[in-house]
Amino acid sequence: MGLFQHKNQLQQKSPSDQATDAVERLFDDDFREELRTHGRLYFERVINENAALFKQDLDATVAHINTELRQHIARQLDEQFAEITRTNAELRQHVTNQLDEQFDEYNKTMQNAQELALQALNRSAQALEDQHKQLSLSLEKSVAHQDAMLSGAVEETQAHLAEMKDAQSAALELLNRSVQALQEQHQQLSAMLEKTITDQQARLVDAFEQNMGRIIEHYLLGALGDQYDLKAQLPSIIKQMEANKQAIVDDMKL
Amino acid sequence: MSESVATQTEFVLPPSIVTKTDVSRLVTEIEKVDNQLTTAEVHAKVGASTEEEPLVSQRLADFLTQNQLTLSGNTSGNDRSVLIKKLRQMKDNLPVIHMTFAVEADQESLAQLVQWLRTSIHPHAVIAVGLQPALIAGVYLRTPNHVHDLSLRAQLKGGHDLLIKELEAFRG
Repeated sequence: MGLFQHKNQLQQKSPSDQATDAVERLFDDDFREELRTHGRLYFERVINENAALFKQDLDATVAHINTELRQHIARQLDEQFAEITRTNAELRQHVTNQLDEQFDEYNKTMQNAQELALQALNRSAQALEDQHKQLSLSLEKSVAHQDAMLSGAVEETQAHLAEMKDAQSAALELLNRSVQALQEQHQQLSAMLEKTITDQQARLVDAFEQNMGRIIEHYLLGALGDQYDLKAQLPSIIKQMEANKQAIVDDMKL
Repeated sequence: MSESVATQTEFVLPPSIVTKTDVSRLVTEIEKVDNQLTTAEVHAKVGASTEEEPLVSQRLADFLTQNQLTLSGNTSGNDRSVLIKKLRQMKDNLPVIHMTFAVEADQESLAQLVQWLRTSIHPHAVIAVGLQPALIAGVYLRTPNHVHDLSLRAQLKGGHDLLIKELEAFRG
């Protein structure tokens, strides 16, 4: 059979079937796997190359955007600063104008107030002068009235003095009577005092006599106490105990 | 002991034993002598050298003499125990008479007083001594239920009114 075994079979099939068979024989599983591997590698390489290119484009684009953004921000800031400076100048000018107006108004008000105060002071001075005149007149009247009253008071005082002299005379008389009564009381008290002293002396003498008895007794006790020792007292003690012997014996038996 | 302690009912207290404290000391000394004699007996039983006879005080010697007793190695331990027991009983029942003097009391005078008390009042009487100079002289005697003021101060106190009368008479 050999290589040409299928020849008869090929000849028996239609060309389309033969082509199909040939394709199937040519694109068997190994070859297909090899083609897939080859395609996969090729596809990966293409993707990597495109990714590198895309990365380069992206970096360039980001750098360009950064530059433009920085320039835009700088322009915006310059414009804002210029606007702020202009606004400050306008505000300062406005405030200055306002202050000037206020100062002018204050000055006018102060001048008016000073004028009013001067007018009021002038009026007060005038009023004081009028009051001074009135008071002078009142004082003159009052002095005259006081003079009249003092004259009356002197007369009354003289009358009072006369009454006081009479009262002093009465008081002196009363004092004399009191002195007389005191002298009488003094004499009575002297008599009573002498009597009391006499009684006190009598009581003291009695008390002295009583205490003298005790003093003598104490002296005797002290003098005798030092003279006797127990040996000397022993006969007397035994004698006294003999006298009380029965009482002692009875008590010891209880 | 020359006489059996067990048959002896009462002891005679010598005049050198005056106070209850003296009796207590006497009992303590007899106990001490008893211990010494007991120790000597034990030493003799084991063949060790025995000590000499124990020394006794004058008070104990008087007591032994008065009661015809002896304390030596010949007396039995039983007799000594009975003696100690009886002395303790006697000490607890001693009649005590409190005597307060105006001056310091010497031993000789106390011995005479206690001798009189034991002869006249009670054979086992002992004295509790006190000192009170204000008594001047004499004795202030206190028994269990009574007080006998036998001092010179008490005698003079009774003569106070008499002294006052004498002074008034002297004054005229």
